[in-house]
Amino acid sequence: MKTRFLAGLALLTTPLAASEPVMFCERPLTAQPIAENTWMVEGLREELSTSNCGHIGNQAFIATPNGTILIDSGSSPHFGEALKTLIAQHSSHPVRWVLNTHHHPDHFFGNAAFDEAEHLTLASTRALMARDREALIDNIERLTGRNLARSHIALPDTIEAGEVTLGSYPLMLYAMSGHSGGDLVIMDHSTDVLFLGDMGFYQRAAATAHSPGLQQWQEELNELRGLNARIAVPGHGPSAPPETVFDQTAHYLAWLDQHLSDVANEGLGANHALAVEIPDAFNTIALTKYEFTRSVVQLYPRYEARLLWGTPQ
Amino acid sequence: MATPTPIITLQRLAAALTAFLAAFIWLIFMLPSTALATVNTAEQDPLNSFMWPVYRERFLGDATVVFDERVIVNAPEFAEDSGQVPIELDASELEDSGEPITDIIAWVDLNPIPRLFHYSPMSHGLAKLSLNIRLEQASAVRVAVKQGDTWHVGGTYIEAEGGGCTTPGIAGADNDWENTFGELQGRLFANESEQRLRVRLSHPMDSGLIPSQPAFYVQSFELLDQQGQQVAALDIEASVSANPTLGLHMRPSLEGYVIGARDNNGNRFSIGLQP
Ligand SMILES: [Zn+2]
Repeated sequence: MKTRFLAGLALLTTPLAASEPVMFCERPLTAQPIAENTWMVEGLREELSTSNCGHIGNQAFIATPNGTILIDSGSSPHFGEALKTLIAQHSSHPVRWVLNTHHHPDHFFGNAAFDEAEHLTLASTRALMARDREALIDNIERLTGRNLARSHIALPDTIEAGEVTLGSYPLMLYAMSGHSGGDLVIMDHSTDVLFLGDMGFYQRAAATAHSPGLQQWQEELNELRGLNARIAVPGHGPSAPPETVFDQTAHYLAWLDQHLSDVANEGLGANHALAVEIPDAFNTIALTKYEFTRSVVQLYPRYEARLLWGTPQ
Repeated sequence: MATPTPIITLQRLAAALTAFLAAFIWLIFMLPSTALATVNTAEQDPLNSFMWPVYRERFLGDATVVFDERVIVNAPEFAEDSGQVPIELDASELEDSGEPITDIIAWVDLNPIPRLFHYSPMSHGLAKLSLNIRLEQASAVRVAVKQGDTWHVGGTYIEAEGGGCTTPGIAGADNDWENTFGELQGRLFANESEQRLRVRLSHPMDSGLIPSQPAFYVQSFELLDQQGQQVAALDIEASVSANPTLGLHMRPSLEGYVIGARDNNGNRFSIGLQP
């Protein structure tokens, strides 16, 4: 039944009159309705580049009577401005809260465009933002070929996991760490939408550089399965039924984990791990070869440390 | 002027003939080289790097040099972390085909310290090796394998840092060596044809290129049999990554091997590995 209200959705809020499409990086930026008063903006299933100006991650927003809640803000203040304009076309309330799911730049560098809003994230995430901020700015500037107003990239305030009420709108916050070491997952029980951040990747290969461990990531995904959400918004790729997103992310992580363990246990090197044929099931996912290469190089020494040298991970 | 144009003019015939001849000549030239695709005696560098003539002269002198596909160099297409790029050499097909291999030299064309290592397989080493290297920028990586009087050269090209939505090098920064300095760990994996040694030495491998940071790096590894006889030797430069991790491939030995290492400050490290 919840899937049927979409047609009438536009009437519930009072968006500005149909207006010019919002452009970013010479492409129209669009918001897809995914539930009542809830939209997502899907990033390109690509790596950061000059041709996508950094728009590779997803954002989502919920229009509430007391103001709009934004989940993740994109990879630059410039993008944040375009996002702000887009949101104004769908919600009559300005953004009052920005929730950042984790410390990767494509998820919080757009915060500066929402300076009248409260910016919130987990304490663990904020610590990682503080640690990596400078390097992440350098990285974004190098890969997108654009200068960021460095001083505008500020850190959000912290919020604790658990039940929170923003204005009068309740959300359930979960503190996880599988993808980045500090991952905020948001469950909206009013609409049964689950905002996964990069705990979930769908049709776009998972990035694993900052994962504390692929097994931990899988365990946390299993915990999230218990939430009975109706629709999941991954950090990258389209929204989908939660099981679909969990299955794809978890299958890939399980395969990667097993593969790295097998090669390390044989005393072979990272290049042997790279030489494997990637299963067909994953080859249809965008950027698989690229992320797989990155993951092997990042993670292989950790598998050797654990399996050969007995160093606790 | 009004003469009807014949379908086959003399010019067209000439053009067709020229094209045919060109194709024929091309075939003549291509045939031998396809037949001998593995060995290319031409001086033309398959990786097209302007540094090739310089390092060829510096590292290989005036000995005969051939580009040889049997010298396989594996590496990721791009350097995810420029401080730790895994490379792997496999020249076993070349080794199986002729005289023993006496020297293996590797370098990175565009690194400030270009040379990576000089490996002498001696009596017990096989022509395979893996280790992690530093890559200053996108560059050709070369391995030259000496068999008889000839250097057989292979290589690969590695693109510069990827990076993506995460930052290379932050999470796995190798600055933990202070607590574990000098720790030499190793495992031996045996099968019928070889004993694979995987070895890791906790060491900063400071190149001395950063002001205020003196050169402090491992210069050599050696492999000894149980009688203390040297059976293979590997000299390395500071272009090898921090915490050098080596994959060595040795002829089977009942008693295994002892691996020793020495740095430029005179520190010595050693570990024995038995099957
Ligand atoms: Zn991420």
